[in-house]
Amino acid sequence: MTNDYRTLLYALAVFFSLWAVISRKLLISAIMLALVSVLVSLIFFDFGAPWAGVFELSVCAGLITVLFVSAVSLIRAEEEKHPESRARFYALPLAAAIFAIAGWFYLPQFFAEIAGWTRPSTGGGTIGLALWDMRRPDLLGQVLMLAAGVFVIKSIFPRRSEK
Amino acid sequence: MNSFPMEWYFTALMMFVGFYCMLASRSIVRQLIGLEIISKGAMLALLSAGALANNLVFAQALVLTLIVIEVVVVGAGLALLVKNFRVNGTTDIWKLDSLKG
Repeated sequence: MTNDYRTLLYALAVFFSLWAVISRKLLISAIMLALVSVLVSLIFFDFGAPWAGVFELSVCAGLITVLFVSAVSLIRAEEEKHPESRARFYALPLAAAIFAIAGWFYLPQFFAEIAGWTRPSTGGGTIGLALWDMRRPDLLGQVLMLAAGVFVIKSIFPRRSEK
Repeated sequence: MNSFPMEWYFTALMMFVGFYCMLASRSIVRQLIGLEIISKGAMLALLSAGALANNLVFAQALVLTLIVIEVVVVGAGLALLVKNFRVNGTTDIWKLDSLKG
């Protein structure tokens, strides 16, 4: 039952990601991307990973969608005047179907073989222990990454000098 | 039955769609959308492997790191998009080199 539900969520996530790429309007692409984020967060909840699910739902489905929609609303008029050629995007369902059918014969066996290499752990500890104690260097990296992002945006949009 | 091979099969499909989007388009927005789809596939692969190894705690910590990095990359990319649009009046990624200097 759980596996069927999870497989359905995976299939829907792939379907909406296809829709996000094929869609002609950028706004619809951004909304489909948000739906993919919602489905991914549902998959995380189904795995029993609520922290990752909550972050995915709030940050990826919320914040990133707002960023995309505001950026798209700035450029939409110009994009609609000079649209890109859509021929390559309309070929995507065919290419994806070929990849899916060809991969069906090889990939599941290959991934089953990979699964055989697993070394199960005891799975102890809490997310707080993992984040604040065992993976402390990661937190430092995240802070540095955020600082780098702020610096990039600051240097892209410099303060205008008054002349 | 273990569902790991099917989960990774769908993840591979999702990554294919993201890579195709990045290869086929020259618009910065679509490049970022492709990058988002690929990073979602990476997150699903990480968490699925964590569940298989009975080590969801570490997998979640890595996914949280990945989400933070994704937000910063998308923010910087969209800032470049807006700057490129103001300077060149286009979202073409090939025009980004005119921002140099």
